[in-house]
Amino acid sequence: MEALWVVLPTGQRASGEWIDDTLRRRVEERGLSVRTPLVGRFPRHRVEVVRATDPVEEVNALFAARGWTDGLPITPPTLSRVEAMCAVTTRQPSEVLGEVEPLRGEASIEKVAANAVMAGCAPEHFVVVLAAVEAVLDPAFNMRGVQTTDENVAPLVIVSGPLAARLGINAGFGALGPGWRANAAIGRALRLTMLNLGGGWPGAVSLAGLGQPARYTLCLAEREDSPWPPLHVELGHRAEQSTVTVLRAETVINVTGGLAEVASVMASAASAFTMLYEGRVAVVVAPFVARRLAAEGRSKDDVKRWLHAEARVPRAAWTSWWLKATARQWPPWITEAGEALPVVKEPEDITIVVAGANLAIPQLAYFPSWGFPPCRITRVIG
Amino acid sequence: MLRASAVAEEAGVPSVSLTCEGFIGQAATTATGLGLPGLPVAIVPGHVDVQTVEELRANVLGVTVDGVVQGLTAAPETASELLEPAPGEIVFEGTPDEVNRFFYENGWSDGLPIVPPTMERVEAFLRQTDRDPDEELGVLLPDRRSATVLSVAVNGVMAGCRPEYMPVLLALIEAMADPRYGVEHSGNTPGAETLIIVNGPIIRRLGFNYQQGALRDGFQANTSVGRFWRLYLRNVAGFLPHRTDKGTFGNTWRVVLAENEEALRQMGWTTIAQDQGLAAGADAVTISRFTGGTVLASVFGTRPEEMIPYLADGIARMVAWEVIFTVGMSVGAQRPLLVLSPILAQTLARAGLSKQEVQRRLFEHARIPARQFERYAGGWTNLLPGRPTLGDLVKRGRAAPVFAESDDPDRLVPVVEKPEDIMIAVSGDPLRTNAYVFAHNGILGYTTTKPIRPPAR
Repeated sequence: MEALWVVLPTGQRASGEWIDDTLRRRVEERGLSVRTPLVGRFPRHRVEVVRATDPVEEVNALFAARGWTDGLPITPPTLSRVEAMCAVTTRQPSEVLGEVEPLRGEASIEKVAANAVMAGCAPEHFVVVLAAVEAVLDPAFNMRGVQTTDENVAPLVIVSGPLAARLGINAGFGALGPGWRANAAIGRALRLTMLNLGGGWPGAVSLAGLGQPARYTLCLAEREDSPWPPLHVELGHRAEQSTVTVLRAETVINVTGGLAEVASVMASAASAFTMLYEGRVAVVVAPFVARRLAAEGRSKDDVKRWLHAEARVPRAAWTSWWLKATARQWPPWITEAGEALPVVKEPEDITIVVAGANLAIPQLAYFPSWGFPPCRITRVIG
Repeated sequence: MLRASAVAEEAGVPSVSLTCEGFIGQAATTATGLGLPGLPVAIVPGHVDVQTVEELRANVLGVTVDGVVQGLTAAPETASELLEPAPGEIVFEGTPDEVNRFFYENGWSDGLPIVPPTMERVEAFLRQTDRDPDEELGVLLPDRRSATVLSVAVNGVMAGCRPEYMPVLLALIEAMADPRYGVEHSGNTPGAETLIIVNGPIIRRLGFNYQQGALRDGFQANTSVGRFWRLYLRNVAGFLPHRTDKGTFGNTWRVVLAENEEALRQMGWTTIAQDQGLAAGADAVTISRFTGGTVLASVFGTRPEEMIPYLADGIARMVAWEVIFTVGMSVGAQRPLLVLSPILAQTLARAGLSKQEVQRRLFEHARIPARQFERYAGGWTNLLPGRPTLGDLVKRGRAAPVFAESDDPDRLVPVVEKPEDIMIAVSGDPLRTNAYVFAHNGILGYTTTKPIRPPAR
């Protein structure tokens, strides 16, 4: 029998309660025990010793049955791996970054590290994970709403600055995956943190009807060879700094074409929640398209202004939407807009990111938003 | 909506949240996170979005209204359950090295090896008392955990105590749980540390050192009982550095001080336990939390007049910002401790001084200028905000009249309220002319004495 000394990744409140005890009641009420037959059944300690002939397998089986995974196998958060993760920051492992809504497990550095290990992060990725976790703990992210809504929103993590390349965070071919450990693991660490410290379990706490693949991971970097100033500089940071920016993305929509095609997708029912909540959206622009626009003398701001002006929903279409009939309170900049309704309040509500393969193909993506308040949260890494 | 309800409930206003059937689980989850797991919710059957006005009216009148009435007339529960290993549960099996690692990694030890608290060892401790293992000695903050005879035995084993120390350990936890002591303050930022003083025949019976090196490690009873105190604060009360224990620097736990009762008897002086109201010859523990201490080396002289000024000066020097426990914050709660070596105490006794007379003379001499006193309390510090003068404090009833006998800022004022507030113990090398002074943390660890009950027959 071999033994693994693992740090328990699940959330404990400031009062000492474990969020699993709340989850156990929800799971039982909703008949979800098949997914997590051992919910709430674990030793109430920091560290557990798992002994088995194949302890890695055993930790995986135990954690899955207790509801501590996203369904994929995890790397056991052994003491040595968690300590190695914590060692990349000078912050104390016990330091609490905040409480993760809605069940309010405390996000201590060590708990986040345990989840980052499980997600497959290398220690050097941890500074990015910490910045992302700090970003989603900002009240403007509305973690409670994101975790409990019946919509399928997911955090979109954008890394900008020189650190992205050094850590191997992909901004090029397949930036939205799969294939790159950093993108996969950093986004997944954030999701596991939301599941294990916030208790956003599907069906039990999260009532998202469908979910979406972006709820496993949604993390990309911005290309350094963008013809425009990078996102972090645009947001007021120094070029040599690196940042994480988080938005609430309702989904990812690939758009092949130029700005006109993006505008047409934006001006559809896909933007319904964005409009209702005055959301902030993101548009990923292929390097090929960005270069062409820059060559025409168009700045990022020009692009935003153009999209704001051109992505307009005909009032008649809006009136026929399901959401229009369901939700009564729409912002005045929509109700008073005349016949062509803007999708976002201001051009500034559109975040432009240059990423993707260096191909002569106009590949873009649109990320509508869900929820309130307006959210584009940036944290400097390290 | 539940957040609004929680705010209302916390403000004492009854609330109820109307919740569609499909959201009941979510509401309960949210309520738990808000710290009010029983926050009242009134169910609306089905979902309002798909009901006609008539259906909705029927549902609300038939079901929801009852829930509203019930919710508004009941107070939500706030209690939370902490699922922890049950008393007596086996939490780990492994080698002694593994036990040590496991206990350390889970925050149950002070970083030194512990003695694994096996059932056999714990039972040996329990055999030393007639008390039931489940008997509750008190409930300790911050974790609000029940202090039981069993957990005393477990931590006693871990600390390296012998089973026969069990009656001392039980008396200590009774003192810890006494509200006058104020265990809940043990994590405050000045980080003072408790000193345990033992009195009675039990000193000799259990082998407590009370002679040379009285405050030094190296004697199992003094050392392990001191360590037990800190382990119990950690494991049962729940004081953990970086969490609930906010001591800026802290201090290692203190070795137990035992008095030299033979010397005291010969001089006709009372013991600390007697000063605290117990009968002569009673076994007792006294706990008191001290911010720090210093040695007064080479006390020179043959007459009290030569010795008292130096000893008093030591007390006056040690009680600096701690004067906030003399006036203001907790009037008359400053109780410094002077430990005299037997030869110093005997020299004073030979001159005809009782302990009470020594206290009186120390009280007269341990004085500082009023200006200095006021700077400690609210000039250099902001411990008494608004920079009150001693005159202000006397007028407000927050200081004894002795502190404002004139308004001359250079007048000398005492550092404690009454002579008997200066505790005097006799211990240490019988033939050395050194003394030790501790400044006290006032009501945030007030001097508390408990008799030690005899062991089981």
